[in-house]
Amino acid sequence: MDCTTVRERLAGFGASIESSLETSTLEHLRSCSSCRDCQAIEMETDDLLSARLPHFQAPPRLKECLQASFSPTLARVPGRPTSRKPIGRWLVPVVSAALSAVIVWGVLRAPGRGEDDTLWSEAVSDHLRVISSSHPVEIESGGIHQVKPWFTGRLDFAPRISFSGDDDFPLVGGSVGYFLDRKAAVLVFKCRLHTITLLVFPNERLPWPASSSVRFGTTDGIAREWRGFNVLAWKRADLGFALVSDVNRADLVKLATRIAEP
Amino acid sequence: MTRYAFWRGQRERFAGEATRAAGTDAHLAADALEHADALFNLACYLTANSSEAEDLVQETYARAYSAGALFRGGSVKAWLFQILRNAFIDAYRRAKVHAVATDLEVWEGGSETGHGAFDLATGQMRALVASDLEKALRSLSDDARTTILLDVEGLREGEIAQVLGCAAGTVKSRLARARRLLRLKLKDYAR
Repeated sequence: MDCTTVRERLAGFGASIESSLETSTLEHLRSCSSCRDCQAIEMETDDLLSARLPHFQAPPRLKECLQASFSPTLARVPGRPTSRKPIGRWLVPVVSAALSAVIVWGVLRAPGRGEDDTLWSEAVSDHLRVISSSHPVEIESGGIHQVKPWFTGRLDFAPRISFSGDDDFPLVGGSVGYFLDRKAAVLVFKCRLHTITLLVFPNERLPWPASSSVRFGTTDGIAREWRGFNVLAWKRADLGFALVSDVNRADLVKLATRIAEP
Repeated sequence: MTRYAFWRGQRERFAGEATRAAGTDAHLAADALEHADALFNLACYLTANSSEAEDLVQETYARAYSAGALFRGGSVKAWLFQILRNAFIDAYRRAKVHAVATDLEVWEGGSETGHGAFDLATGQMRALVASDLEKALRSLSDDARTTILLDVEGLREGEIAQVLGCAAGTVKSRLARARRLLRLKLKDYAR
């Protein structure tokens, strides 16, 4: 075992450094005084970080807010009274909105509306971020053949898109975003003066609606209106696609058809 | 306008996420709330601003609860750190503050794992105070800082890899380089 490998393994074991190292590393340490010096430095670094590095505690008001907003007990008992303590700048509206939302929870979750809204809510939120940003794209488009390679190394999947934009839907560019808990390719198209956001993301374990509501080409998709925006989502193999815009549904379907074409 | 001003304007969305807690597993919710301090600590070191750190933690929980059904098991803490880091990067990208974590290559590129004449002596390290350490840590890249803090939080190699989105096999070398860079920065404060 060489010194470089041993020194990499010395980092970050704290007080358990001796017991954490394998025999070969320990043998090397016994025979290499230089690496033993390194071990001493690493152990001193551990002591420094564990004993002297300031650790910031979450302010009580933040904890109260999180507890009030996300506590499963509160969320599962509609109408439960809450104490009104001195609170931060956002606690009142958040708690009020959360309680109001819990009250209408049953209505929204009534039979026939059992579909998970996560996809639509996230897609629209991501679209809002795109249109509210002064620089919505990180790579300006010179066509899909410039944009697609830009994603290489930035995503843990390859966004399978071949549509490079046209006169109806020019491609503005792309960026890397996040869709729920995963990375997503964000492509921005124009339609007249409107912005259309295309999100491409791995669809594994997403609460995808079972029934489709629109068919374009050979692809079945789901169209929804959410907070005034039209969303059109579909799956292809292990990827999910979501188009979001304030353009009408027919335009979204037209663009989706061009994107979904192999 | 701060990086998180947009989030602050999204109270409606935040409240909407809150309602989804009703559909989230109770144990997951209880576990998640236990890590508020650890998340806030990392958020403070990433944002260098306690108000923005609060916003970042709120956003983390909002995302976690809206995606609760997607939790694949394992460490809730690592999952939350992963969401927080993603939210941080996301906010930076959206605000177009390009410095985010992209100086990773600066500390990934060199062969910084070695110890030698440039390293800090153990005697010098003992003389350092908390504020020196804090300043030196803040001067590192986001990824180097995050790697060190996750290690301090007691996350395992695989969990750190999950948070950083890198291969588990590279965590050790990243950590070694980050700590080496920290010691180099600390030399400025050594008395």
